[in-house]
Amino acid sequence: MADVRDIMELERPPTPEITRESILGADKVKKRISTGPKVPKRPEGMHREVYALLYNDTKDAPPLFPTDSIRNNGYKQTKIKLGMRKPRKWAWIPFTNPARTDNATFYHWRRPSDEPKEYPFAKFNKKVDLPSYTDVEYQQHLKCDGWTKEETDHLIDLAQRFDLRFIIMADRYDTEKYSKRSVEDLKDRFYKICGILAKLSGEKKIYTYDAEHERRRKEQLKKLQERKPEQIEEEQFLLGELKKIEARKKERERKTQDLQKLISQADNQNETPRKIDKKLPKKKIANPSRPSRVDTNHILQVIETAGIKFPDYKNSGVSLRSQRMKLPTNLGQKKSKGIEQILQELGLELNPTPTEEVCLHFNELRSDIVLLMEIKAALSTCEFELQSLRHQYEALNPGKTLTIPPQLLSGNSESEIKVASGEIIDVVGSPGTPSNT
Amino acid sequence: MSGGMLYGGDEIGALVFDPGHHSLRVGYAQEDTPKAEIPAVVGVAPDDVKLEPEVKPEDGNVATNQPSYKYYIDTAYLHTPRPNMELHNYMKDGMIENWDLFEKILDYSYEKIIQSESQYHPVLFSESPWNQRQKREKLTEIMFEKYKVPAFFLVKNAALAAFANGRATALVIDSGATHTSAVPVLDGYVISNAVVKSPLGGDYLVLRAREMLEAAGIDLTPASLIASKDVIRDKDKPRFVKKKLSFQTTNSWMSYMIKKTVQDFQQTVLQVAENPYDERQVANIPSVHYEFPTGYHQDFGPERFKLAEGLFDHAMLGAGYIAATSAGMCDVDIRPALYSSVVVTGGNSLVQGFSDRLSRDLSSRSPGSMRLKMIAANGTVERRFGAWVGGSILASIGTFQQMWVSIQEYQEGGKSQIDRKCP
Repeated sequence: MADVRDIMELERPPTPEITRESILGADKVKKRISTGPKVPKRPEGMHREVYALLYNDTKDAPPLFPTDSIRNNGYKQTKIKLGMRKPRKWAWIPFTNPARTDNATFYHWRRPSDEPKEYPFAKFNKKVDLPSYTDVEYQQHLKCDGWTKEETDHLIDLAQRFDLRFIIMADRYDTEKYSKRSVEDLKDRFYKICGILAKLSGEKKIYTYDAEHERRRKEQLKKLQERKPEQIEEEQFLLGELKKIEARKKERERKTQDLQKLISQADNQNETPRKIDKKLPKKKIANPSRPSRVDTNHILQVIETAGIKFPDYKNSGVSLRSQRMKLPTNLGQKKSKGIEQILQELGLELNPTPTEEVCLHFNELRSDIVLLMEIKAALSTCEFELQSLRHQYEALNPGKTLTIPPQLLSGNSESEIKVASGEIIDVVGSPGTPSNT
Repeated sequence: MSGGMLYGGDEIGALVFDPGHHSLRVGYAQEDTPKAEIPAVVGVAPDDVKLEPEVKPEDGNVATNQPSYKYYIDTAYLHTPRPNMELHNYMKDGMIENWDLFEKILDYSYEKIIQSESQYHPVLFSESPWNQRQKREKLTEIMFEKYKVPAFFLVKNAALAAFANGRATALVIDSGATHTSAVPVLDGYVISNAVVKSPLGGDYLVLRAREMLEAAGIDLTPASLIASKDVIRDKDKPRFVKKKLSFQTTNSWMSYMIKKTVQDFQQTVLQVAENPYDERQVANIPSVHYEFPTGYHQDFGPERFKLAEGLFDHAMLGAGYIAATSAGMCDVDIRPALYSSVVVTGGNSLVQGFSDRLSRDLSSRSPGSMRLKMIAANGTVERRFGAWVGGSILASIGTFQQMWVSIQEYQEGGKSQIDRKCP
């Protein structure tokens, strides 16, 4: 940037000079340098002509070589002094390690100025706590067939030396004196001793070690690891086949379900030949205030299929029974909220313990609740339609009043109460609900 | 304390010795390479023969403990032909066999390499995983009694090699001069019952290469016997002038020098094929040119692979086989850990293509579901001196400083405690 300014003959901004003081951050000195215009002074002993070659009035040419004056020790000063402090010395100092028991002295480099403190690595000297026992204790409690006291001592000694690395302990086991023992044998004996001693000292929590189980586990692991590539391939192949079979099974199930649906639909159509297409009530939504004709068929149909259809659990494998109590996801939030509310009114739990019986009854109950809600909704729809027809009639025939037979209005007083619950499921407000099967 | 707690290092001026069949590695702990690699061979010649003017009594390398013999140590002195100089290797089967000669080497190391006195430096020695108890005790005794070291420690070289590669648990495949071994290391402890070794190492390759070259009629005169040679064309008969020697060189010296010559050939030319040797497949790979000390030179094609195949084609002794066997002898619970860090070390593993082939062989033998990971240091130094580098790291760790068997402990407990203290 400075070069560009030079070429463009622009004024050079005062660049802060890098000096020893500026590096060290002595503010006072820095200020003095930056403020005062620096007037180079002719060093003592330098000829004026020589000095003039280096400096002129414009002061643009920087010096090409060091210009320390002789007074400041001139050209003789060779060392750069960067820090103000003296370097701290290092020394080859003896130390003892508290982790050692023999007070051996070693030497290392350290600053003598540092406080002599405990050897910092000594704190990493960790040892495992091992059970210890006296002869009497051994005779009374720890006797075991197949283990002598000497061998047990050897085991504890190895555990101490190798910090309970049982695999190494088994490797370094004294096979000349004692018979060879497996890792499980060692663990079994060791943990038994631990358990007995813990019991004696009154500890409540006692860990047990199941050597047989360990052995079986290792045997299985070994078998698993020692599979040949062909065996692994075969296994992969079989797993693939299993997946295919499962997929086919599912496909078949889906098809049978479809078929059943078709059959039931066909049955329904036979029963109600005047069944109106489902689109029809939806069209009515567009103009709900003018229902052209009484249509109760679809309402009836709704009631027929109402209730919760809990899915059958046909999946192979294990499942929780509480899964069977789960509401189907297609139920809708309004209905599930309604169920919740009624259950609360009845003072029932939302998630009872799913025993077989409870499961069955609970599902039935909720199915009935939904049915009830739908029936109520259908009823209010019917009444609404009835009322609107009455208004139509009165509008078309002024002066006449249509008397509705009382049996049709039987639930009038009751329905008003029911509306409260009906509103929760919000079927009254939207006549489209009947299509919401 | 220079490293501080941040790196966990605390250097106490320890020395690390890593004796091997090919050479002894000596150096200071915390350095990244040994100060010197001294051939594990000592030349012994009767002292009264003074035909060599350049060997003067003040010559420092000549240790004259026994008045009637001179000992020649280190490459420069060994490679010079001398009358009646017999070469002896002090190692046998990965263990120190000839203690007198080994002491000569130690004397030489302290005097010429370390250039400091032994009583100031704790010493860490590596040993083979199958080292015998009395040998460990003997070494302990020598170090404390003769060299008065302030502290001493012995570690299995496989564990050190694992440390050098940043692992405490590993399956170490160490392919050295005389043998290849597979050693499982768990938490820094060698599982000694699961060590598997085979006699196929660098020396075996040299032997095969030498047989092949001699059968092909190639003159293997070592470079130190050749005064001059002419430039000749490919596969021409070599024209060279032998040095005029007034004496007959010994057989052991000649065979050592020829071995060195063949070793160079082996290291330059040999390559392990990625798949089991197949004449047709190998024929497509470009050949390698090699010139012998005599000036004779030619291209080597399929021979390179045929020779190196010797390391792998023996059903029971190949590196992949012994690795799988060794892992198979360990507890099933630790096998995944071993397979997931297979450390390759040893000078012979630097034969081109060694680790690739080993990886291939091992993966075909290891359980299919196992994750296999090979760790092979890229650098020549790291691979050849793996155990030394591990020792260098270990001896300069702060928490290790409590492990040393100090001279006080030795004086109290004697040499027998080494077996307890150094696992």
